[in-house]
Formats: sequence, structure tokens, C-alpha cells
Amino acid sequence: MKFWQKIYLFSIMAFIVVFNLASIMVIERNHSKMLQQEINNTLSENMSINSSVSAIIPLLRIYDSNEYEKSVLTNIANEFVDKNSHSNIYLEIVDDERRTIYSNKDSGKLSTNMPSDRKELVDLQANEIKYILRDIDDRTFLFTANITEINNKKYTFTYIKEVTPLYEERIDQYRFFVKVDIGACLIYMVVMFFISKGLTKPIDKMIRTAKDIAQGNFSERVQLKSKDEIGILATNFNAMAVVVEAKINELELHNSEKQRFIDNFTHELKTPLTSIIGYANYLKVTKYNEEIFVDGLQVIYSEAKRLESLSIKLMDLILLKEDQFQMVTENLNDLIIEMESSLKMRAASKNIKIITTCDQCSLKLEKDLIKVLIFNLVDNAIKASNELESITIRTFESDGNCVLEVADNGIGIPSDHIDKIFEPFYMADKARTRNNNGAGLGLSICQAVAGIHHATIEVISEINRGTTIRVVFQQRNWQDEVNE
Amino acid sequence: MNKRILIVEDDVHISKIIKMNLNLVHYETTEAYDGYEALEAIKHGKYDLILLDIMIPRMDGFALMERIKSYQIPVIFLTAKNSVFDKVKGLKLGADDYIVKPFEAIELLARIETVLRRYGHGDSVIEFKSVKVYIEKREVTVNGDAVELTPKEFDLLVVLIKNKNIALSREQFLDKVWGGDYFGETRTVDMHIKSVRKKLNLQDYIKTIYKIGYRLEE
Repeated sequence: MKFWQKIYLFSIMAFIVVFNLASIMVIERNHSKMLQQEINNTLSENMSINSSVSAIIPLLRIYDSNEYEKSVLTNIANEFVDKNSHSNIYLEIVDDERRTIYSNKDSGKLSTNMPSDRKELVDLQANEIKYILRDIDDRTFLFTANITEINNKKYTFTYIKEVTPLYEERIDQYRFFVKVDIGACLIYMVVMFFISKGLTKPIDKMIRTAKDIAQGNFSERVQLKSKDEIGILATNFNAMAVVVEAKINELELHNSEKQRFIDNFTHELKTPLTSIIGYANYLKVTKYNEEIFVDGLQVIYSEAKRLESLSIKLMDLILLKEDQFQMVTENLNDLIIEMESSLKMRAASKNIKIITTCDQCSLKLEKDLIKVLIFNLVDNAIKASNELESITIRTFESDGNCVLEVADNGIGIPSDHIDKIFEPFYMADKARTRNNNGAGLGLSICQAVAGIHHATIEVISEINRGTTIRVVFQQRNWQDEVNE
Repeated sequence: MNKRILIVEDDVHISKIIKMNLNLVHYETTEAYDGYEALEAIKHGKYDLILLDIMIPRMDGFALMERIKSYQIPVIFLTAKNSVFDKVKGLKLGADDYIVKPFEAIELLARIETVLRRYGHGDSVIEFKSVKVYIEKREVTVNGDAVELTPKEFDLLVVLIKNKNIALSREQFLDKVWGGDYFGETRTVDMHIKSVRKKLNLQDYIKTIYKIGYRLEE
């Protein structure tokens, strides 16, 4: 059952119950008030007969004659009945021997159906008035009775009034009410239909949006302007969608990075493998030819060496992800002095000079990793430099941070490549990189090492003017970490 | 008239080894090392087939495919990527086949041959010295005289000629001649080789290669 249908049904049910109960109560109260009023009227009319009879009691005492009493009472009664002839009233006067002295019952509708059981007359005392409502046939009468003593004789006066119109009025009201009820319910149903539909419309909107999002349109949002709870829900829903979208994007980015890494890795792995397998197979299945044989073996050897360096670098990269290193406070300067000779040897092969200008600069570091970092940076600088050029290694302090700088005057990096050079397997110049047995992992390793040391790497490069790479060790981050 | 094949591959060693293998069986080859170079070569030369690496500089293989559709030259992709997506993309762009690196030379030759045949560039007659093989008619002549071969001998001869200068193992012969589901004796191959040598006077050319198998040498 839909929510709007629930609102609709329950409100209609409640409306019907409340509306009907309220109306019935009003009608009933109205009816009982009218009836009470009629009873009071009737009683006072009865009393007025009584008082007119009481007024002439002294006269009746003078003439102590039954006949006289009877005629006087009849006169009074007739007069009264005539006076009230417009309404259906009946008067009956009975003496204590149950003889009827006066009755106008026969003139009206009460002729034959006078009930034999007259409860109101039982134990009726003097100066007391009793009344009762009776249904006779399909009419209702109000019986009032009292006793008046005249000359030691008890006369019972019964004054009867028809109250059928009151009951008819009540039924009439009910009839009218049923019509009003049906009308009101119909109007209420129509109005409520639109109201419940209208109220639940935003919910439908949210359902549609949620479905859209579920189908992968993560940028979908609910467009609701209301300030009520549904509006708040929509706002929160949108906030949730934003978070989800951000997470998904992050995941996708991460995934595509991973995928790129895998693709590149596959490529870097399969390229030398293809050559090795191809040449080895060629040498195996073809007729021996010395020149081809030597060339082939040369290719197999160099490609295998490339695979070896790829696997070593990859291992380094994987180990760097482990993140469990013993940091010791060292002087960066000492480290460079330690490496200087091997770096100079490496550079000598291309007749490149290495100039070191190092200030004292102490920081917490992992010695072997920093050596790898420096070696990679210098190695790149050597590859980028031409013969007889020089490479400068500097360490200095700036803003309380240690800075390591490696600068060359080599070929430089094209500006559109700079933001990608730290990506694993990224090579600005594939052929050159491969000729140097590179796999495009050097700078990725540098970045990982820098990350472990809370350092950032800055690259300044100009084509054919050279490249400067600065590793800035953020001392503050260390302080923060220690304080924590 | 030998078939001309364009090799588009950025890795010099791979390009060279492909060229060497193709030259063994007398395909003529041209090498291009990036997309633009390949495009120029296709514009100015006539090629029966292109071997195309996807990851090439300056214009990748997919982009190149789009540019050369109108030439209607059969293309076989070479790629290191093994993903189904690339495969589908390549074939959708109109590639005829797809080889994942690293590949075996003999596999490459077989696929090139299949694609060429599909394009009607297949040879109906192949020759070796004085031996002529009419593939459709399944007839063999030596110096113009018909020679009777059993069906398997005929198939074996075709495999030998198509892979001339390349040594094949007995298992490879079994696979290519008797089919992959035949678990025969490798001796069967020896017997058939023997009879082909004898019937066609190829004793000097079908060489037994120590520890490997047999090779038809020119």
C-alpha cells in the first residue's frame, strides 16, 4: 500500500468516524433538550389545570355534591382542552373509584389504544406529579398524572400530550444529516486525494532520484525547496549523494591509476620478454649465422638486464609501500659526502662533473632510502646531461626546513610532462629511457621515499637549459608527529 | 611476387625480430616506429597486411586504425594488453586478428597466413625449388611431373614450405598436420617426413635438426 493511499484512507476513516459521532451527538442533544422542554411545558400545563381546580375547591366544599364536582371539573377540563385545541392534548379525570369523570380520549387518536398498564398511576401520592413517555402504535405520547383531593375524594388527573412531532423532527434531522454526510465525505475525499498526493509528491521525486543514483548516475540530486521534514530529508539525501559520489570518484580514480599501473607494468614486462622469446626462438629454429647469433644474444642479454633492473626497482617500490622504517637523526651533508665518490664514478663515464655545496642540515631520516633517492636524482641528471656538463648537489636550510637540491644543465623536461613524471612507468622520452635501461620508475621511487620523510618534491625545468629538483623536508610535520 | 607487410612497432628489437621471421618465409617488410610514420608509409606504399602495435608514440594504434579504414588493408594487432576490452575495441575498429605479446614466431606466421587467405591474398600455388604445390587441387609436381602424395604427406609438405627456414618440432608438425586432438606418436611424423623426402627428392633440403625437429632449408 502506497504512502499517499495510507494518508488518504486513514484520514478518511478518521473523518467519517469523528464527523458522524459529532453530528449524532448534536442531533441527539438537540432532541433531548426539546423533549425536556416539552415535558416541562406539559408538566406546567398540568399544574395550571391543578391550580385552577385548587382555586375552586372552596366553592366545591360549599356544595358537597358529586354531580356538582363532576360538572365543575368537566367545565374546567373542557375549557382547557378547547383553549389548547391546536395541539393534541388529552385530559382524563378519574375519581378514586376509578370512574371516569372526564375524558376527551375518544375524540383523538388515543381512542382504542389506551394502555391498560398505567405505571405512572401506581403509588401516586397527593401533591406529586409523575410522567412517562409511551409509544402507542407508531406515535409517542407524554403522560403526566397527579392527584388532587377534593372533599376527601382523590381525583386523578391525567394530562396527555402527543410528542410524535419531536421524534419525527429527529428522524428528519437524521435524514438531512445523511445527505450532508455523503456530500461532506465526497468533498473530503476529493480534497484529501489531492492533499495526500501533493504531500507525497516530494517522496516520489526522491524515489526517482534514488533509483537514478542506483543505476549509476551518481551526479543526480533531488530538487526540493520545501523546509519541512521531507525537505530536510532531501537535503541530507543530497549530502549523502555528494559523499557517495566523491567516494566513487575517488575509487574510480584510484582504480584507473591502478589499472594504468598494471597496464604499464604489463607493457614494460612484456616488451623485453617478447624480444627475448623472439630472439631465442629465432636462434633456436633457424640455421646458424654468426652475425645474427651475436646480435641476437646481445639483444637477449640487454633485454634480460632491463628486466632485472625493472624487477629490482619494482621491489623497491613495493617495499616503500610497507611504511615501517627506523628513522634516525642524521646530517644530510654527511650522507652526501659518503656517496660522493660512487656518484662521481657514475658521472665520470659521461665526463660529467659533480659539484657539491652542502650546509649542515640535520633531520630524521632512513639512511638507505635517502641514498636511493639521491642516487636516482643524480642518475636522472646524468642521463639528461651531455658530456662535459656539470651537476650541482646542494643542501641548505630555508624557513627552518632542510632542502636537498640536484640541478643539471641538461635537456630539460617538456612542461606538459612535468605533472606526470612521478607516475610509475611514465617516460617523457621512451626510447631514451629504455636505452638507459630505465623503466620509468625512478621518480616514483623518489616520490615514495619523499612521502615517507614528509618531504615534498619541486621540479623546475626548462628545455635545453636544465632541470632542478628540490626535495623539501618539512620539519614541522615531524614536530607535529612527535608532539602527538 | 612476394607479399608486402608493414610492421608498426615502436620497440626496435621487437620490430627487428618480427622482420627477421617474416623475411625467413619471404615476406617483404617495411618498418614504421610510430603512428605518423606508419600513416605516411600506408599512403605511399602498397601493403598486403599491417602488423600494428597499439601502444605506439604520436598516434596510437586505435587512432591509426580509424585513419586507414579506407585503404582496406588487413590488420593484425600486436599488444601487450590482454584485456577483453581492448580486444573487442580492436576487432570493432576492423582489425582482423589480435596477437598478445609475447608471441611465438610460428603463431604469428600462421595468423598472417590465415588473414591473407581470408582476403583472397592466399597463394593457390606455392613453390620450393623444383617442387610446385597446387593447394586447391591438392596436386604436387616435381619439374612438372605429377607426384602422388597421401593427404597427410601433402599437408606436411605444405607446412614445411610455408615455414621454410624455420625448424619445427615433431609436436608442432603433429599439431598442424594431424590436428590438435590427435595424440599420435611423434614417430608418425618421422615416417611421413621420410616418405616426403623420398617422393620429392628433398633429402638435401629437409634437414633433421638435433633436439628440435625438422627444417626445410633453401
